Amino acid sequence: MFFNVPDIQQFQANKEFIDTAVVPLLSLQFSDDKSKKSGSDAEYLMSLTAFIEQQFKGRLLMTPPFSYVDSLKPHLDLSLIEKELKDAGFKHVVFITCDADWVKKEEFHVIWLPAIPLTSMDIPVKQKIMEDQLKQVIPTLTNIWTKL
Amino acid sequence: MSNNRVTRRQFLTYTITGVGGFMAAGMLMPMVRFAVDPLLQTKTEGDFVLTGQKVSELTDAPVKVDFSFERTDAWYVSETTDSAWVYKDGDAIIALSPVCKHLGCTVNWEGDPDHPNQFFCACHAGRYEKTGVNVPGTPPTAALDQYEVAEKDGFLMLGKKSANSFA
Repeated sequence: MFFNVPDIQQFQANKEFIDTAVVPLLSLQFSDDKSKKSGSDAEYLMSLTAFIEQQFKGRLLMTPPFSYVDSLKPHLDLSLIEKELKDAGFKHVVFITCDADWVKKEEFHVIWLPAIPLTSMDIPVKQKIMEDQLKQVIPTLTNIWTKL
Repeated sequence: MSNNRVTRRQFLTYTITGVGGFMAAGMLMPMVRFAVDPLLQTKTEGDFVLTGQKVSELTDAPVKVDFSFERTDAWYVSETTDSAWVYKDGDAIIALSPVCKHLGCTVNWEGDPDHPNQFFCACHAGRYEKTGVNVPGTPPTAALDQYEVAEKDGFLMLGKKSANSFA
């Protein structure tokens, strides 16, 4: 489910099935030397999260990304986000990011994937890469789900 | 000479009738054209989308066929990718939508090793027979949708989604 009206309505009617919230964490960097890489990372993360949503639509809510600049990062408290979502009825909260800094936060479920530059790639190649990337994400999700 | 001459009055009447006739025709013609337009539309491959799948390479084992089309959502134009599970049943080509009828996840062929020869939805263990008919006792309440199929130059084309014909 995405965070939009029809999906939220479906979520509220099926809360017992949709028990996982996935929160993308998106780093934005605007300096001349970093903005191109940052933009490419953002494109990758957005493509991948949309694909994950398509595969697991009935089990998870994909929130819009939490975006931050470097100076804001120390103030971004994952436990607050996690708490709000758990209060709303989600059993599992998973963060997904291309920013390696979050991997250190071992008390949360963080899926970290190195970004692959997708620009100037043909659509079939892109799809193939996304499917391979998805295969890396699936075990993490199924682990969380079976570990009840 | 004088009797056959067109009078000023006659000249004006003819002219106005003629010009008026053209004006009326100019207004009526497009209206008539619009009214009969649906009948004149040629039904070419209308809503069919060409895929990269060769029909000759299909077997009785379902394969995933991806296809893309452009979608406009207000100002946001995006290239949407969808897929279908396609296999041959005798000579007939069956194309099933991979969207689970429970809550819309994507189902996979033989996704669960415990249940071969079935479609499996990883979200809540929903299962479907090869025909797309849902297995009773699992969460889905309806059969997988089916795509219209067509063939063009040896490649598979997919059309509209409709309810499963095996259900």
